[in-house]
Amino acid sequence: MTGMALISLWLSIVPVQDTLQAGTVVALKESVPLSQVASPVSSIRPELLETTGTYRPNSLSGMIPGLHIPDYGASMTSTIYLRGLGSRMENPVLGLYLDGIPILDKNAYDFDWEGVRSVTLLRGPQGTLYGRNTMGGVLAIRTLAPSDCLPPTISLEYGTANTVRAGGFFTTGNHAFSATFRHTDGVFRNVFKQELCDPFNGLSVRWKWEKPAGDRLFVSHLFSASLSDEGGFAYGLHTDGTDGPVSYNDEAGYRRLFVLDGTKLRWRGEKVVVDGTASLQLLLDDMRMDQDYTERPIFTLQQEQHCGAGTLEVLVRRADAKARWQPSSGVFAFLRGNRMHAPVTFKRDGIQTLILDNANAHIPSDIGYLTLSDNEMTVGSDFDIATWNVALFHESVWRTGAWLFTAGLRVDYEGARMDYDCLTSLHYRFMPTMKADKALDVPYTGSVGHSRIEVLPKLSVLYEVAEGLRLFSVLSKGYRSGGFNTQIFSDILQHQAMTAMMKDLGVYFDQPTAGVTAGHTEYDPEEAWNLEVGGRFRREGIRAEVSAYGMNVRNRQMTVFLPGQSAGRMMTNADGGWHVGVETEAEGRWKDLCLRAAWSWCKTEEGVPYVPEHTLFAGVGYPFRLRGCRLQVDGFVRGAGPFWWNEEHSLREPFSLRAGGRIALVFPKWEVYARGENLTSTDSHTFYFKSMEKEYFASGKPRMIMIGITIKCK
Amino acid sequence: MRNIFLTAVALVVLGCGKTNSEEPIAPKEGSYTGTVSVVYNGSTFDNENIQVDFKPAADGKTASIVLNQIRFVPTMPVTVDVTIPDVTVQADDKEIVLSCARVVPLAMGGEYPRYTVTDLKGKIVGNEMTFSLNFGDSPTSFRGTK
Repeated sequence: MTGMALISLWLSIVPVQDTLQAGTVVALKESVPLSQVASPVSSIRPELLETTGTYRPNSLSGMIPGLHIPDYGASMTSTIYLRGLGSRMENPVLGLYLDGIPILDKNAYDFDWEGVRSVTLLRGPQGTLYGRNTMGGVLAIRTLAPSDCLPPTISLEYGTANTVRAGGFFTTGNHAFSATFRHTDGVFRNVFKQELCDPFNGLSVRWKWEKPAGDRLFVSHLFSASLSDEGGFAYGLHTDGTDGPVSYNDEAGYRRLFVLDGTKLRWRGEKVVVDGTASLQLLLDDMRMDQDYTERPIFTLQQEQHCGAGTLEVLVRRADAKARWQPSSGVFAFLRGNRMHAPVTFKRDGIQTLILDNANAHIPSDIGYLTLSDNEMTVGSDFDIATWNVALFHESVWRTGAWLFTAGLRVDYEGARMDYDCLTSLHYRFMPTMKADKALDVPYTGSVGHSRIEVLPKLSVLYEVAEGLRLFSVLSKGYRSGGFNTQIFSDILQHQAMTAMMKDLGVYFDQPTAGVTAGHTEYDPEEAWNLEVGGRFRREGIRAEVSAYGMNVRNRQMTVFLPGQSAGRMMTNADGGWHVGVETEAEGRWKDLCLRAAWSWCKTEEGVPYVPEHTLFAGVGYPFRLRGCRLQVDGFVRGAGPFWWNEEHSLREPFSLRAGGRIALVFPKWEVYARGENLTSTDSHTFYFKSMEKEYFASGKPRMIMIGITIKCK
Repeated sequence: MRNIFLTAVALVVLGCGKTNSEEPIAPKEGSYTGTVSVVYNGSTFDNENIQVDFKPAADGKTASIVLNQIRFVPTMPVTVDVTIPDVTVQADDKEIVLSCARVVPLAMGGEYPRYTVTDLKGKIVGNEMTFSLNFGDSPTSFRGTK
């Protein structure tokens, strides 16, 4: 109790506008309250998370205007689209902060949570304060804190596809604990294997410890770990306008352990407040994929990562929160190392179709033809990738009457280096000249690297028209980092192996046989300038916001498929263009009736694929008072679309709505409920791609019904 | 005595000079760059800037001739390395004479009887190598320099 009392006492002396104050958002760096931030802000309350069954980031789709996180593939996919930005691979457009700690690896973005107290999204480029990979915005998740003083709670639910989700949280003294476990058999059947291909087992645990250390220092420590083992990649062949079933023969799945251990320190002096944040992050994952997605033994991909990272940030602010000038300056750095083992194994059919057929197509039949005797051929690829970043930033806020001006600048230096060590071993024979097979090892080693400096300015103005009504305008810049195309190494190595075989034979092609070389392994950062105007209204239980933006995107990062009989894909840079859009959301309460709506419209000059033109969410909740309890009824619809599936704009997904709801009988200490998602079992697609000149779609999940019980141990 | 000594010296000097000038040239490995001309369907097409390697055996009596990246017909979409083994080497003090009545060349990892070499005749004089042969039915010639 002493600890809690100290926390309460300490919090009482924290400035009113301090965003690290308990009960507000601890994950953001803004030096003014969210209501005065000159960027559109969406905040999702824990009640809404509960009623919509939101326990992982994917379910935030549509609830936050413009946010689209399609649920497909596996947890590592975590593709996020916002404002026409986003791509399937590599760096995200949205920065994810867990209790103020940046999660560096996109593969760790999709995780189950329990006891989350708020989810806040600052939309638009937030490069000045948050740096890399925040050109779409910053998603800040605040987890349960000891000072929340919530009663211990446990919940259990069961439903469609033998889905079980159990979780709980409690606080004691300076500690807060939460844990959640989820199992599902999966909903998509692999007709070849006659089994469900997307089972999931996952466990997440979280521990937060907070304590004042003397009068001036406050310490918060977060430990978060998630472990998951799942299937996935439920992709069906699409032919003649018809979706085929999932039907692949090889192993596919994803296993991941992600551990985040972070400490936040706040020292409050007479004139300045210093916030320090440090974290260590560990990601161990292993993805297996039948990369041809067919029942034929063509080829498989494994991607095993051992990734460690450390982050450090120091932010200094003025202690006098009432001063007109509120400067804040900081330094940020991180170092990340990733040892990736990514072998591609060609099976018998793959050796024939992807390698031999390609090679023999270039050899006149009257000269001879090539054979490989290996039943399996592994193209081994090992990468050591190091990324480092150092940034200095400053932001000043001036208050003058009803005006609030902000100016900021960040200088962001990032470097990266990749060492690759690849080896292909094969046994080949050229017929009819060779009398026996010949072993050939084709090594391919080297390194590439780059370093860049990004300057990320911000100017904004906010004007308080009347109490609770504010207008704002902001000009800001964001970027997402460049990187390396590890995915194309199997294609490069196929080419290298074929060239080495031919050279060993003394045969030389007139024309190059591969479209990719080691020169394609790097891609540049994507940048966006954003000019935005908006208005915000917050008063007496009503919150509404509308904004319109124009973004100029340069060096757009896009995933492209390699031509011909290849399943390769790579990230490349396109020119970019203008993205314009409108986003609005409103939330209000009338007596017991709760309403929330969010809508967005986005148009991209270049018609960026996968990006929905509209997102929509509309929800309503009402409690029917009964004797000793209440019947809480919530319903919602969410939708996204239309969007293009390809750069050629020949495949279009229409706008589709999905309905969900929850009905709960709520008693003071417990509740039972039933909830559903996609109640109308609306068919839609979540993903499209081409592989080996064939088209594949991932379908959205069908109707999911869950029943559950929540017990609060007051 | 003096005359005998002078006669002996003269014989030695003359003898040495005669021995050096008549000693055959030792075949040495080398590369020659030039044009390989192939007669195909009655017309000649040239493979220009072709490197031909001369690789004598240890005993110096035979050699291999390697024609790098040549094509036998103009429409071939690939070029190939062709090795002509067991070429007889005869050297005198002025030239190295190459000959081979019939041999199966090596290409693409093994013997390539389709383009069996017949009637190879050639020589290496100074820095120049010339030879002619038949690759199957295609008369072929080469002239190149080091």
